[in-house]
Amino acid sequence: MSCESETVERTETFDATPEEVWESLTDDDRLSEWLAEDVELEPFEGGEISVRDGDGERSGTVETVIEEERLTYTWARPGEEPSRVDFTIEAVPAGTRLTVIETAISGPVAIAEARWRPRFEALRRGLALVLA
Amino acid sequence: MAPAPVDAVFNALADPTRRHVLQALASRDSVTATGLAAELPISRQAVSKHLAALSGADLVSSDRVGRETIYSLRPEPLGDAAKWIESVGAEWDQRLGKLKRSLER
Repeated sequence: MSCESETVERTETFDATPEEVWESLTDDDRLSEWLAEDVELEPFEGGEISVRDGDGERSGTVETVIEEERLTYTWARPGEEPSRVDFTIEAVPAGTRLTVIETAISGPVAIAEARWRPRFEALRRGLALVLA
Repeated sequence: MAPAPVDAVFNALADPTRRHVLQALASRDSVTATGLAAELPISRQAVSKHLAALSGADLVSSDRVGRETIYSLRPEPLGDAAKWIESVGAEWDQRLGKLKRSLER
Protein backbone atom coordinates (compact mmCIF):
# COMPACT_ATOMS: atom_id res chain seq x y z
CA MET A 1 0.00 0.00 0.00
CA SER A 2 1.28 3.43 -0.83
CA CYS A 3 0.16 7.04 -0.96
CA GLU A 4 1.70 10.09 -2.52
CA SER A 5 2.37 11.97 0.69
CA GLU A 6 4.93 9.47 1.98
CA THR A 7 7.37 10.63 -0.69
CA VAL A 8 9.74 13.49 -1.32
CA GLU A 9 10.02 14.52 -4.98
CA ARG A 10 12.43 16.94 -6.64
CA THR A 11 12.96 17.85 -10.29
CA GLU A 12 15.94 19.68 -11.77
CA THR A 13 16.90 20.47 -15.36
CA PHE A 14 20.58 20.40 -16.31
CA ASP A 15 22.42 21.89 -19.27
CA ALA A 16 23.84 18.43 -20.02
CA THR A 17 23.05 15.33 -22.10
CA PRO A 18 21.15 12.31 -20.71
CA GLU A 19 24.43 10.38 -21.12
CA GLU A 20 26.28 12.84 -18.85
CA VAL A 21 23.50 12.78 -16.26
CA TRP A 22 23.47 8.96 -16.33
CA GLU A 23 27.22 8.93 -15.73
CA SER A 24 26.76 11.24 -12.75
CA LEU A 25 24.22 8.78 -11.31
CA THR A 26 26.20 5.58 -11.84
CA ASP A 27 29.94 6.33 -11.89
CA ASP A 28 31.53 6.24 -8.42
CA ASP A 29 33.89 9.17 -9.08
CA ARG A 30 31.07 11.34 -10.47
CA LEU A 31 28.76 10.28 -7.61
CA SER A 32 31.31 11.41 -5.03
CA GLU A 33 31.07 14.93 -6.52
CA TRP A 34 27.47 15.34 -5.38
CA LEU A 35 25.73 12.40 -3.67
CA ALA A 36 28.13 11.90 -0.76
CA GLU A 37 31.86 11.94 -0.01
CA ASP A 38 32.41 8.29 -0.77
CA VAL A 39 30.03 6.27 -2.98
CA GLU A 40 30.24 2.75 -4.33
CA LEU A 41 27.45 1.68 -6.66
CA GLU A 42 27.23 -1.50 -8.74
CA PRO A 43 25.07 -0.36 -11.67
CA PHE A 44 23.14 -3.58 -12.28
CA GLU A 45 19.98 -5.10 -10.80
CA GLY A 46 20.82 -6.69 -7.45
CA GLY A 47 24.06 -4.71 -7.17
CA GLU A 48 25.08 -3.05 -3.93
CA ILE A 49 25.22 0.61 -3.09
CA SER A 50 27.14 2.02 -0.16
CA VAL A 51 27.35 5.69 0.68
CA ARG A 52 29.55 7.31 3.32
CA ASP A 53 29.34 10.89 4.38
CA GLY A 54 30.18 13.17 7.29
CA ASP A 55 26.87 12.25 8.93
CA GLY A 56 27.26 8.46 8.59
CA GLU A 57 26.74 5.57 6.28
CA ARG A 58 23.90 4.08 4.22
CA SER A 59 23.75 0.89 2.23
CA GLY A 60 21.23 -0.85 0.03
CA THR A 61 20.46 -2.68 -3.18
CA VAL A 62 20.16 -1.52 -6.78
CA GLU A 63 16.72 -2.50 -8.14
CA THR A 64 16.25 -1.01 -11.62
CA VAL A 65 18.86 -0.04 -14.22
CA ILE A 66 17.62 1.28 -17.58
CA GLU A 67 20.53 3.11 -19.14
CA GLU A 68 20.01 6.87 -19.47
CA GLU A 69 16.37 6.48 -18.38
CA ARG A 70 15.81 5.09 -14.91
CA LEU A 71 17.75 4.03 -11.83
CA THR A 72 16.22 2.87 -8.56
CA TYR A 73 17.76 1.58 -5.36
CA THR A 74 16.89 1.14 -1.72
CA TRP A 75 19.05 2.50 1.04
CA ALA A 76 19.04 2.74 4.82
CA ARG A 77 21.21 3.86 7.68
CA PRO A 78 22.10 1.04 10.08
CA GLY A 79 19.08 0.19 12.23
CA GLU A 80 16.73 2.55 10.40
CA GLU A 81 13.87 1.69 8.07
CA PRO A 82 14.87 1.72 4.39
CA SER A 83 13.60 4.06 1.72
CA ARG A 84 13.56 3.73 -2.06
CA VAL A 85 15.26 6.26 -4.32
CA ASP A 86 13.92 6.49 -7.87
CA PHE A 87 15.64 8.57 -10.60
CA THR A 88 14.02 9.28 -13.97
CA ILE A 89 15.98 10.94 -16.78
CA GLU A 90 14.26 12.74 -19.68
CA ALA A 91 15.71 14.71 -22.58
CA VAL A 92 14.07 18.16 -22.80
CA PRO A 93 14.79 21.16 -25.10
CA ALA A 94 16.82 22.88 -22.34
CA GLY A 95 18.96 19.79 -21.73
CA THR A 96 18.09 16.91 -19.41
CA ARG A 97 15.47 16.75 -16.72
CA LEU A 98 16.12 14.58 -13.68
CA THR A 99 13.35 13.64 -11.26
CA VAL A 100 14.22 12.02 -7.95
CA ILE A 101 11.59 10.50 -5.68
CA GLU A 102 12.47 9.12 -2.26
CA THR A 103 9.76 6.97 -0.66
CA ALA A 104 9.60 5.42 2.79
CA ILE A 105 9.18 1.70 2.08
CA SER A 106 5.85 0.32 3.25
CA GLY A 107 7.12 -2.69 5.19
CA PRO A 108 5.87 -1.36 8.53
CA VAL A 109 2.50 -0.45 6.95
CA ALA A 110 2.15 -4.01 5.69
CA ILE A 111 2.90 -5.24 9.22
CA ALA A 112 0.33 -2.91 10.74
CA GLU A 113 -2.21 -4.04 8.12
CA ALA A 114 -1.55 -7.69 8.81
CA ARG A 115 -2.01 -7.02 12.50
CA TRP A 116 -5.38 -5.34 11.99
CA ARG A 117 -6.79 -7.30 9.05
CA PRO A 118 -8.17 -10.18 11.15
CA ARG A 119 -10.08 -7.64 13.25
CA PHE A 120 -11.49 -5.92 10.14
CA GLU A 121 -12.53 -9.34 8.83
CA ALA A 122 -14.20 -10.21 12.13
CA LEU A 123 -15.94 -6.83 12.07
CA ARG A 124 -17.18 -7.39 8.51
CA ARG A 125 -18.44 -10.88 9.32
CA GLY A 126 -20.20 -9.51 12.40
CA LEU A 127 -21.84 -6.80 10.28
CA ALA A 128 -22.94 -9.30 7.66
CA LEU A 129 -24.64 -11.36 10.36
CA VAL A 130 -26.39 -8.31 11.79
CA LEU A 131 -27.57 -7.19 8.37
CA ALA A 132 -28.65 -10.66 7.17
CA MET B 1 8.28 2.37 22.49
CA ALA B 2 10.05 2.52 19.13
CA PRO B 3 9.17 5.58 17.00
CA ALA B 4 6.16 5.06 14.73
CA PRO B 5 7.15 4.14 11.18
CA VAL B 6 6.89 7.30 9.14
CA ASP B 7 5.08 5.59 6.27
CA ALA B 8 2.46 4.13 8.63
CA VAL B 9 1.73 7.67 9.75
CA PHE B 10 1.40 8.95 6.17
CA ASN B 11 -0.81 6.04 5.30
CA ALA B 12 -3.07 6.67 8.27
CA LEU B 13 -3.36 10.33 7.28
CA ALA B 14 -4.06 9.65 3.61
CA ASP B 15 -7.76 9.04 4.32
CA PRO B 16 -9.90 12.20 4.73
CA THR B 17 -12.31 10.51 7.18
CA ARG B 18 -9.38 9.49 9.37
CA ARG B 19 -8.20 13.09 9.41
CA HIS B 20 -11.71 14.09 10.61
CA VAL B 21 -11.47 11.47 13.37
CA LEU B 22 -8.08 12.91 14.37
CA GLN B 23 -9.47 16.45 14.42
CA ALA B 24 -12.37 15.34 16.61
CA LEU B 25 -9.88 13.64 18.95
CA ALA B 26 -7.62 16.70 19.00
CA SER B 27 -10.44 18.90 20.33
CA ARG B 28 -10.79 16.93 23.59
CA ASP B 29 -8.70 14.95 26.06
CA SER B 30 -10.25 11.56 25.42
CA VAL B 31 -13.39 10.02 23.98
CA THR B 32 -15.10 6.69 23.32
CA ALA B 33 -15.80 5.36 19.82
CA THR B 34 -19.53 5.86 20.48
CA GLY B 35 -18.88 9.47 21.49
CA LEU B 36 -16.91 10.08 18.28
CA ALA B 37 -19.57 8.43 16.11
CA ALA B 38 -22.16 10.81 17.59
CA GLU B 39 -20.28 13.81 16.18
CA LEU B 40 -19.11 12.44 12.87
CA PRO B 41 -21.28 11.51 9.88
CA ILE B 42 -20.05 7.90 9.99
CA SER B 43 -21.11 4.74 11.80
CA ARG B 44 -19.74 3.47 15.11
CA GLN B 45 -18.20 0.56 13.14
CA ALA B 46 -16.45 2.94 10.72
CA VAL B 47 -15.13 4.97 13.65
CA SER B 48 -13.69 1.79 15.22
CA LYS B 49 -12.01 0.84 11.96
CA HIS B 50 -10.41 4.27 11.58
CA LEU B 51 -9.32 4.26 15.24
CA ALA B 52 -7.67 0.89 14.64
CA ALA B 53 -5.72 2.29 11.68
CA LEU B 54 -4.70 5.35 13.71
CA SER B 55 -3.61 3.12 16.62
CA GLY B 56 -1.52 1.08 14.18
CA ALA B 57 0.37 4.27 13.33
CA ASP B 58 0.72 5.13 17.05
CA LEU B 59 -1.34 8.27 16.50
CA VAL B 60 -4.01 7.20 18.94
CA SER B 61 -3.67 5.48 22.30
CA SER B 62 -6.43 3.49 23.95
CA ASP B 63 -7.21 2.64 27.58
CA ARG B 64 -9.84 0.30 28.86
CA VAL B 65 -11.94 1.87 31.59
CA GLY B 66 -14.55 -0.57 32.85
CA ARG B 67 -16.48 -1.81 29.80
CA GLU B 68 -15.45 1.08 27.62
CA THR B 69 -12.35 1.91 25.62
CA ILE B 70 -11.23 5.51 25.87
CA TYR B 71 -9.18 6.91 22.98
CA SER B 72 -6.84 9.87 22.99
CA LEU B 73 -4.56 11.57 20.49
CA ARG B 74 -0.79 10.95 20.47
CA PRO B 75 0.61 13.78 18.37
CA GLU B 76 4.29 12.73 18.52
CA PRO B 77 4.40 10.64 15.30
CA LEU B 78 3.05 13.59 13.29
CA GLY B 79 6.21 15.48 14.21
CA ASP B 80 8.35 12.51 13.14
CA ALA B 81 6.63 12.36 9.74
CA ALA B 82 7.03 16.10 9.15
CA LYS B 83 10.70 15.88 10.19
CA TRP B 84 11.30 13.04 7.71
CA ILE B 85 9.87 15.06 4.78
CA GLU B 86 11.80 18.15 5.81
CA SER B 87 15.18 16.48 6.28
CA VAL B 88 14.97 14.21 3.22
CA GLY B 89 13.80 17.15 1.08
CA ALA B 90 16.66 19.35 2.33
CA GLU B 91 19.18 16.58 1.58
CA TRP B 92 17.99 16.30 -2.05
CA ASP B 93 17.99 20.08 -2.53
CA GLN B 94 21.61 20.15 -1.41
CA ARG B 95 22.65 17.12 -3.52
CA LEU B 96 20.92 18.38 -6.68
CA GLY B 97 22.60 21.77 -6.24
CA LYS B 98 25.98 20.04 -6.13
CA LEU B 99 25.05 17.87 -9.12
CA LYS B 100 24.13 20.97 -11.12
CA ARG B 101 27.50 22.56 -10.37
CA SER B 102 29.24 19.29 -11.23
CA LEU B 103 27.43 18.90 -14.58
CA GLU B 104 27.48 22.52 -15.73
CA ARG B 105 30.98 23.63 -14.79
